[in-house]
Amino acid sequence: MTAGAPAPAEPDVADAAVRPEAITAAPAATTTTRARWRRPLARNRNVLVGTTLLIVFVLAAIFAGALATHNPTRLDPGARLRPPSAQHYFGTDEFGRDVYSLVLYGSRVSLLVGGVTMLLTSAGGVVIGLAAGFYRRLDLLIMRVTDGLMAFPAILLAIAFMAARGPGVWNVILALSIVYMPRTALLIRSTVLSVRELDYVQAARSLGRPDLGIACRHILPNCLAPLLVQGTFIFAYAILAEAILGFLGVGVPPYVPSWGNVISSGKNVIREAFWVSLFPGLALTVAGLSLNLLGDGLRDVLDPRLRVRQ
Amino acid sequence: MTAYLLRRILAVIPVMLVVVTVVFLLVHLIPGDPASAMLGPDATPAQIEATRRQFGLDRPIWEQLLNFYGRVLQGDLGHSYFLNRPVTGVLWERAEPTLLLTFSALLVAIAIGVPSGIVAGAYPGSLADRVLMLGALLGVCIPGFWLSLNFVYFFAVKLAWLPAAGYSSLLVDPWAALRFMVLPAVSLGFNQSALIARIARSCMLEVLQQDYIRTARAKGLREGVVIYLHAFRNALVPVVTVIGITMAILIGGAVVTEIVFNIPGLGRLVISAILRRDYPVVQGVVLVTAAAYVLINLAVDMLYAFIDPRIRYD
Amino acid sequence: MTQIFLRRPLVVLVALALVGGATALAADQPRKGGVLKIGNLGEPPSLDPHWGTQTITEVLSNHLYESLYSLDASYRPIPMLAEALPQVSPDGLTYTIKLRQGIKFHNGKEMTSDDVVPSIKRWSQRAAYGKALFAQVADFKAVDKSTVQFKLKEKSAIVAISLAIPNAFAAIYPKEIAEKFPPDQRITEFVGTGPFKLAEWKPDQYIRMVRYDGYKPRSEPASGYGGAKIVYLDELRWIPVPDAASRAAQVESGDLDFADDLVADAYDRLKANANVQPIIVKPYYWLVAVFNKKEGLMTNQKLRQAWQAALDIEPIMKTVAGGKSEFYRMDSSLAFQELPTWHTKIAGLPWNERNKDKAKRLLKEAGYTGQPIRFMTTQEYKWMYDFALVTKQQLEDVGFVIDLQVMDWSTLGQRRVQPKEYDVFTTGMGNFFDPTHHIYLTPNWPGWTSDEEFATINAQLARETDPKKRYALWEQQTKIFYDKVPVARYGDLFGLRAARKTVKGFNDKVERPRFWGVWLEK
Repeated sequence: MTAGAPAPAEPDVADAAVRPEAITAAPAATTTTRARWRRPLARNRNVLVGTTLLIVFVLAAIFAGALATHNPTRLDPGARLRPPSAQHYFGTDEFGRDVYSLVLYGSRVSLLVGGVTMLLTSAGGVVIGLAAGFYRRLDLLIMRVTDGLMAFPAILLAIAFMAARGPGVWNVILALSIVYMPRTALLIRSTVLSVRELDYVQAARSLGRPDLGIACRHILPNCLAPLLVQGTFIFAYAILAEAILGFLGVGVPPYVPSWGNVISSGKNVIREAFWVSLFPGLALTVAGLSLNLLGDGLRDVLDPRLRVRQ
Repeated sequence: MTAYLLRRILAVIPVMLVVVTVVFLLVHLIPGDPASAMLGPDATPAQIEATRRQFGLDRPIWEQLLNFYGRVLQGDLGHSYFLNRPVTGVLWERAEPTLLLTFSALLVAIAIGVPSGIVAGAYPGSLADRVLMLGALLGVCIPGFWLSLNFVYFFAVKLAWLPAAGYSSLLVDPWAALRFMVLPAVSLGFNQSALIARIARSCMLEVLQQDYIRTARAKGLREGVVIYLHAFRNALVPVVTVIGITMAILIGGAVVTEIVFNIPGLGRLVISAILRRDYPVVQGVVLVTAAAYVLINLAVDMLYAFIDPRIRYD
Repeated sequence: MTQIFLRRPLVVLVALALVGGATALAADQPRKGGVLKIGNLGEPPSLDPHWGTQTITEVLSNHLYESLYSLDASYRPIPMLAEALPQVSPDGLTYTIKLRQGIKFHNGKEMTSDDVVPSIKRWSQRAAYGKALFAQVADFKAVDKSTVQFKLKEKSAIVAISLAIPNAFAAIYPKEIAEKFPPDQRITEFVGTGPFKLAEWKPDQYIRMVRYDGYKPRSEPASGYGGAKIVYLDELRWIPVPDAASRAAQVESGDLDFADDLVADAYDRLKANANVQPIIVKPYYWLVAVFNKKEGLMTNQKLRQAWQAALDIEPIMKTVAGGKSEFYRMDSSLAFQELPTWHTKIAGLPWNERNKDKAKRLLKEAGYTGQPIRFMTTQEYKWMYDFALVTKQQLEDVGFVIDLQVMDWSTLGQRRVQPKEYDVFTTGMGNFFDPTHHIYLTPNWPGWTSDEEFATINAQLARETDPKKRYALWEQQTKIFYDKVPVARYGDLFGLRAARKTVKGFNDKVERPRFWGVWLEK
């Protein structure tokens, strides 16, 4: 298993390993075309394995209905805490619900939370990062607020937010997006700052081209690569964070199939029925694995600045 | 250099201001009235009103916020509604378990991560390298709280080698304290050890390419000396800074670990405080945690500035 | 010569028998000393029994404080700080109570009527049972240093019992404390007459109570919650362990000596452990779903009856009891079997009918068109969440639409007093020692049962003193209950406690734990 640049468990460490402020060298190549990346992407082993696993994950979520053997919310008190068998591949939980079906349907929640959080943080981060990069005065304000927000351990902030808003999938997404957006904003901002000084950009500005146009033509294309890389990792953190919130009882409502909820209910019966916590945890690990591998691979190929020599 | 340091320190102030404001607003967004929570369901509206007045909850939010700023500056974090004591006292008592947990996890992370990374980096492509890096990858992907559960199941329930939950103070009974800390520290530290291992490996690789290493080899020094004397010490530097960040991350991870292992630290305190609508305690814990985060980042930045002169002229 | 030889083995045998017998006897002899480590559900919101009805407050404060009366093993009032049962005047309107002499508070002060009057007055202003009693009281005062007197507005059946119940009880504080803290503020100084006194309270860490050597026990033997309270232990250490599985595990490992409120799933494991004795707690709670009868969908009686008709209670109880039949009991009576004075055995009540057709018909008659019914529950009491989830499925199978809202217990407590916030919520009822104490039949408790019929019978029950007539009234009340359905009654749930085998002398016949009479074997 080749490891490129270190893959962080939290975005902060990504910044620590290669701090945006520390990059004084010229920015990466100018606008790139997609075709240039296709070959190296296809050849990178991490990307291949990661993408495959991710596709499996997505398919399981989409076809959960067809793949499941039972209705995951159907209680069957007579069949509680049965070990894995031909009838229940992953066994049953304390209410007699089929764990295999719960894990399948749980992937939907994870996919939804991870995907939407990634999109929201990227979109929001772009807007905020651009604003901060272009306008000095806004920059000062935004930087203080993002620094302040990033001072909180992500999980604590998410928990407090969920306690304020109450359970629900969209509240979880909102909480996690707010928690992770500062990191994306910082990334975009640093790209903006470095690209802004380039000759042709300065030329464009002096010519009076509108800022938005400059942003779209020159800056955004340079952001795509790091954004994609970081987005992949945020997807992974979001899935994990959703599971932690569910485990603590402040995520989606407890009777909605989600990996965190199932692990949480399994915790109470771990001595009698360890399988209930086992399988959703494995699913979480594999999902995390797919995204981390993909992120590692993408970073190796797309963002040579961050790569460290083999 | 001093100018940079001074600027960096001053920059902390507005950040802390934001932190304090966010803490206050967040907590007051939590629905449910602490007065009714305290008095219980049999309270009459008149009694609830009296309690609200007693704690200053009936003032407009701006006034409460300004009061909060003032008190924080004086080091007064308020009075716990539920526990009927000053928050600072509560935090002081509950800090010890969390600190012990965080430091133990850090030790575990370093003990596992640094040697793994160094060895993997010294022999890239070897079996050892592959195995260690696979382990590191899994360490990043395995959810910490799930790992805790599995540890409890195997080591506490099945094998009965270690206790499933609980805490004992180091000052009271160090041997018991150690027993209680093993599983929590390892499950919390394992995640971060993977991180440290990967970074250590990268740094080791980079260092080993340097000219002075080639020189040492050319001079005929034994490989072992080359690795452990020269490469090791230089590779360690960025790793040390990562450890600072790791500390900060562990503070967050400690919350879940404390709940799984029933450790009476700040993490468990903040969860029960949220459930009991004990605003002052929630504010206190989150404030202290965020402040620690900020200070650690500051320390790491300073350390970085010493190491990499390029940064100072930001 | 031979005789002496023959006699020797005999002598040895007899000596051995004596020694063996003595050791056996010694093992059963209480041993003074030791610290008992008890695992709690959590942190008590207060140690002021006037102030709240929480079980944890009740258990803890009953070790520190006492009231004028207490309950014996049959749950009848017996004197505690009073000398004897009240002397009632022929017209039934004056109750004179003589206090015991020489009772000292933990701070050394002697208890007199100067302390009793303000304490009971404070209780009457805050606790529900106090308010209910004082609704009948015209005047309450001290006659002399060791006598107090109630003057009633009407005949009452509930004077002694109200002063005897252990929950939210009329604890006697020193006058200075009773007057210093208004009823809506929790006391922060803890001085009582109980067999233990408070040594240290470190919130979220432990509460330490030590034996009060100045305690004067009653001369009668221990019975129920009353009688002689002899303390052998040096100290009780109450340790909050919020997770039930951890509590059980810590008793198994010896980190705790005793733990309460465990989950039935742990029973088999505890039984198999050679060092632990599991204790099944009978009674514990009976499960109810309380309907909001002030506002919203459940003001419709037919809808409530439909809910009741649809329930198949046995599988619900089985789930809640972790599949173990030892942990639940099917019973329709509104008072536990363990309270024979009030236990009813009425046949033909619409309880556990599991009649889906009847339920569907009632839904139609009620004009229900599928509006979501807001059903609040919590995971903090696992059994509440469990029965809510199974109920939801059973009801949805007959056509209800249930919006299950899971929240923390504190939030539920706040929302259940607001009529706009919910339609149904889950809770459990403990023992009510008098039929007038059934709070869910009163208009002021959440759910707001303001039906006239209940109120009329409650008033009659408060006045009627003939036990036979009271029982007949109570049966009548029960029948009305099943017609009007102010709450849906499920079954009886039993609890699980665990104690190390070294814990001796524990009275497992009472509902909530008490630790006098308990000693630790070496």
